[in-house]
Amino acid sequence: MSDQATGVEDATENTQSSGFFGALKDGLFTPLKQFPAALYPTLMIGVLFMIPFVIMFLISFWNWDQAAAIFTPAFELTHYARFFSPLFTTHLWVSVQFAALASALSLMVAVPFTFFISRFRRKPQVLSLIFILCVLTLSEVIIAYSLSIVMSRSGGLPNVAEWLGLVERARSWYPSYFANLFGLSFFNIPFAVLILYPSSTRLDRELTEAAQTMGATPVRTFFTIVIPLLERTIMAAFILLFVFTMGAFVTPYWLARPEDTMMAQLIADQALSRGNIPFAAALSVFFMAVTLVLSLLTVWLRRSDKLGDA
Amino acid sequence: MIRAAKMVFLTVVFGMMAAPLLIVAGVSLNAKKRMFFPPDGISLRWFPEVFTTAKWLEAVTNSVFIAIAAAFIAVSIALPIAYFLWRYRVFYAKALFIAGLVPFALPPVITALGMLVFWSEIGFVGTIWNIMLGHGVFLVTLPLVMISLGLESIDEEILEAGRTMGANSRKLFTSVVFPMVLPYMIAGYAFVLVLSMNEYIIAFFLGQHATLTLPVQILSSLRSGYTPVIAAVAVMFMILAIAIFGLIARFGDLPKLLGAWAPKE
Repeated sequence: MSDQATGVEDATENTQSSGFFGALKDGLFTPLKQFPAALYPTLMIGVLFMIPFVIMFLISFWNWDQAAAIFTPAFELTHYARFFSPLFTTHLWVSVQFAALASALSLMVAVPFTFFISRFRRKPQVLSLIFILCVLTLSEVIIAYSLSIVMSRSGGLPNVAEWLGLVERARSWYPSYFANLFGLSFFNIPFAVLILYPSSTRLDRELTEAAQTMGATPVRTFFTIVIPLLERTIMAAFILLFVFTMGAFVTPYWLARPEDTMMAQLIADQALSRGNIPFAAALSVFFMAVTLVLSLLTVWLRRSDKLGDA
Repeated sequence: MIRAAKMVFLTVVFGMMAAPLLIVAGVSLNAKKRMFFPPDGISLRWFPEVFTTAKWLEAVTNSVFIAIAAAFIAVSIALPIAYFLWRYRVFYAKALFIAGLVPFALPPVITALGMLVFWSEIGFVGTIWNIMLGHGVFLVTLPLVMISLGLESIDEEILEAGRTMGANSRKLFTSVVFPMVLPYMIAGYAFVLVLSMNEYIIAFFLGQHATLTLPVQILSSLRSGYTPVIAAVAVMFMILAIAIFGLIARFGDLPKLLGAWAPKE
């Protein structure tokens, strides 16, 4: 305790310094003197993560010469002005649609699923978690690939549908709007489960038991007790999944039709295929601003969580 | 009735989630060079091919090397931040902690573009080192959260006892704190290892077609035509993930690591 006490004293002593350099001293140098090892993570995150964003932000104002395919330092808003062009607005609308639908669909499965898992006994619970983690960490490439096998002409559901007489002739089900939506929702489920899991385990067993002894059916209990208690967490999860899906690249690349190109593909296409780094950077800056606002919303939602940490 | 509905629901969801794993495993067993499901004849011949074909061997080596190093980098960044925040609770430590959470919250394509622009300006891009450092910083969030969880779980009384016995903060760190957070560090390391091996977009942007990791190689091979080798690679990935998470669960407390409250027995 003694070390911590002196730390506090040091801090109070230094608050007397004022002005910009005083603030810099209190905020940066004093803590670094206290704990010099913090310099290493500061440098790593600063140089390899923060500085790249600053450079990207600057480049978003640079000039792009389409004929020569080069970009040069300048200050212009041409790339931001393109946000009003149909190229941008259609892809943004497509992405928003897919993100909202896929997040909602995956939550419809994940909320009851997580609730059931969190009530499992320890051993099956741990096994379920291992399973979820394996699916979660499975590369998006592998999931998209295996879903495309299921939906392909030679290897899966279309043949079953033909055999059942649902369709006259089996055709490949992808690329299509449905295939992409299914792929994105599928990919979101394990992620959603892990977001909901902590709050689900925190739900008081006694509340649901009380409701049932008072005669409520399990279904009624789920909708009147469990869902309202998890409301904030579910909303936060929706936003996280929404942001996550907005950034999807591999799934739409593999399962979506060309007209359903999503934001991340647009950024990758502009940056890598066309070499238009400034426009890709401007798109990223916009994307980042949206993400930031939505993330702050989740922080606020979590803070006012009814289950809280108290 | 309700019980039955619940069982059906759980079976369907588990089955649906397991389907891709089973299908890929089935395809990898095809005897002919086609991707049929169910497999057309059973053969294990695609598995050795992963290690005898130059491009697959190179991708495997790249991915494994990147994952091992990136996980080390991520944990090495996460540990001082988590300790700093836990020990001093100053604004600067809090800011560092939040900076460590940001990579996880942003769409990875943005991070990938930022890093690409950064390395291009320096003129050093398309190597295994770019991807390794990129993954190390991008995936710092998980070990950071896990190590913080580990530090929070240390009993104040143990620290008090150490101080009474005359341990300074360095001694306290090496003899009490470090051994107690070590399991959380290992878990964090394992998570980054698996995620790095499966990450696509940062590896794609920073590799610049010169350095290919497994997911990048898989997608580019898919474009140029199917072969069951792709499925064989995917199966090996899955086995690795199952082994790693199984080990974490065996030697650690998986529900607690994922944020569950200690079960009241």
